[in-house]
Amino acid sequence: MSEAIAQRPVWRGAVLAAAAAVAAVELYTAWLALHPQVGKDYRAYYIDHTTTCLDKPVSNRYALGSTISFLPENWRGAKALWVCGWDGPAGDGAHSVGTSSRLHFGIAPPASGLRLRLYLTAIAAAGQRVVVTTGDGRPLGTARIPAGASQVVDVPVPADAVVPGDGLDVIVAYPDAVRMMPHDSDTHLRAVMLTAVQLRRPGDLPSSGPLDDPKLRQYEPGPGGPLRQKPA
Amino acid sequence: MVVEVAAEPLERSEPRLTTLVAIVAAFAALGYVLRFLAYQQAVWNADIWNFPHGFCRWDCVWYVRLAQTGYDPFPVPHGIDAGNWAFFPLFPMIVGALYKLTGWPPIDIAVAVSILLSGLAALVAWPLLKHNLRAFTLYAAFLLCGPFSMYFTSFFTEVLFVLLTNCVMLAARRSNYLTAGTGAALLSATRIVGVFGVFIVAVQFLVDYARRGGSVAGLPRELWRRPDIVLAVLIAPLGAFAYMLFLHFYMGDALAFQHVQRAWGRVVGNPFDYLWLALTEPPRNGGWLSSGQWLALSAIGGLVATAVLAWKRHYAEAVFCLFCIVVPMAAGMASMLRFVAALSPIVLLAAGYLARWWPLFLATLLVLVATDYFFALGWIEGWLALV
Repeated sequence: MSEAIAQRPVWRGAVLAAAAAVAAVELYTAWLALHPQVGKDYRAYYIDHTTTCLDKPVSNRYALGSTISFLPENWRGAKALWVCGWDGPAGDGAHSVGTSSRLHFGIAPPASGLRLRLYLTAIAAAGQRVVVTTGDGRPLGTARIPAGASQVVDVPVPADAVVPGDGLDVIVAYPDAVRMMPHDSDTHLRAVMLTAVQLRRPGDLPSSGPLDDPKLRQYEPGPGGPLRQKPA
Repeated sequence: MVVEVAAEPLERSEPRLTTLVAIVAAFAALGYVLRFLAYQQAVWNADIWNFPHGFCRWDCVWYVRLAQTGYDPFPVPHGIDAGNWAFFPLFPMIVGALYKLTGWPPIDIAVAVSILLSGLAALVAWPLLKHNLRAFTLYAAFLLCGPFSMYFTSFFTEVLFVLLTNCVMLAARRSNYLTAGTGAALLSATRIVGVFGVFIVAVQFLVDYARRGGSVAGLPRELWRRPDIVLAVLIAPLGAFAYMLFLHFYMGDALAFQHVQRAWGRVVGNPFDYLWLALTEPPRNGGWLSSGQWLALSAIGGLVATAVLAWKRHYAEAVFCLFCIVVPMAAGMASMLRFVAALSPIVLLAAGYLARWWPLFLATLLVLVATDYFFALGWIEGWLALV
């Protein structure tokens, strides 16, 4: 627009009105940006940063007593249980990321209490305290794992922790999770690797590790760690 | 708007238009062949039909999905934390619209549109390069057949960003502030740093005003006299605001494009801390430089070129580049090479200098063409500095 046109009274009026309208839209948008209308899970993770584990609705069916491997050979089975706070799975299991991880077991309320078994290895950089709670924060148990060590963590789960129609939410928290790089986000803190989980009734056989997962029947421990296929 | 800003010089030198288009077409063809040869070298079972898809890496994959299925709802499908809200909408919308119209694979459409937009960006730059054919040749080679041609010929928003930046610069240099503001609005709907296009408009006006002998005290009166300037500045970030409005009504969070950075582990920090960390990252696997060092050097190169822009009194473009480099650095050095390569004012400045002497021009042209092949190889093989 040339200077001469811009100064014509009609154009000036129209341009001023357009400028006012654009400014109003931008101010309104800025106001909306400061007042997001989002659910509590979104707000906690993305806006308030009060959690590093973004809770998501999942409905994973799980057969009580079964072992689920968190090694890459059963990544589909592992991903069916995890909600958030896990990365991988890699050769040494699913790596925890952030200050807590969640698992969800789609089960019906049991007649009596259950036991949750987790096969965990602390990262080599530092020993880890592991605090296991239900989704609504009821404590289930704690463990302390030395740096680089593997440990079986068994915790009791009361029957009424299982929500009818939904299942059992488990939160594994890591108060001692560490940054691997100086500027790492809290969503990238590291603490443990998980290789297998089992939720069992009082009469069930305790899991002896990831190889109890039926999906890993054709595998055996290879030299130096990773699994290898059994000879035919 | 491309036609409006480019029309005058092209009409004035009409015989040149065919030459310019021929140069662009030649580099487009040569670049395509070189990148395909690199693809063939690196990929098993490579053929010309799966090349566009196979060459689509990193963010390109996100853009393809965005063009096909639109923005993610919340919760994000497939159980991941990172929605695709960080990707600004204008270019995926164009490809998405063509995809809906034709039903052709989005990546094929994106490659064709990207090459076309790269050519247009070169043509719009002709007057910015002061009708210097050697500089134009280098610039066209850089976009279509240079080491970073993968950003301008696959599916990245950089190509539209470059074209619109050139349009905004040209309109602003011609003191056509309202056209520049409109271009900046489109720029701000293309990439998040597009909002800094407002500085090209505002600073260029202030420079022009000062050249006319305007004073600080007289500025409010001048703005009252010329409300089109105010409108141009207000319009400039409108694309970003429109996207924010969309996000609010779509999922309740107008700043989702910013908040979702948490899912990628981006932490806002001191940009110069990040620069130092990257610069001191040791190389691995026997390489000359680590990826972090490449990224840091590209940022430093961009900042030095920005200082040269300011020294040459291209203040509007210098301020634009400064913000486009330093603000992303505050979230880490990732993608810095791509961000700097897409800063038109810097690339145009370099093309102008490198075209000054024939031997330097020829050497640069050879390096550009040769590195197209080798960087394309690095791209396919996952060289992180290029991400």
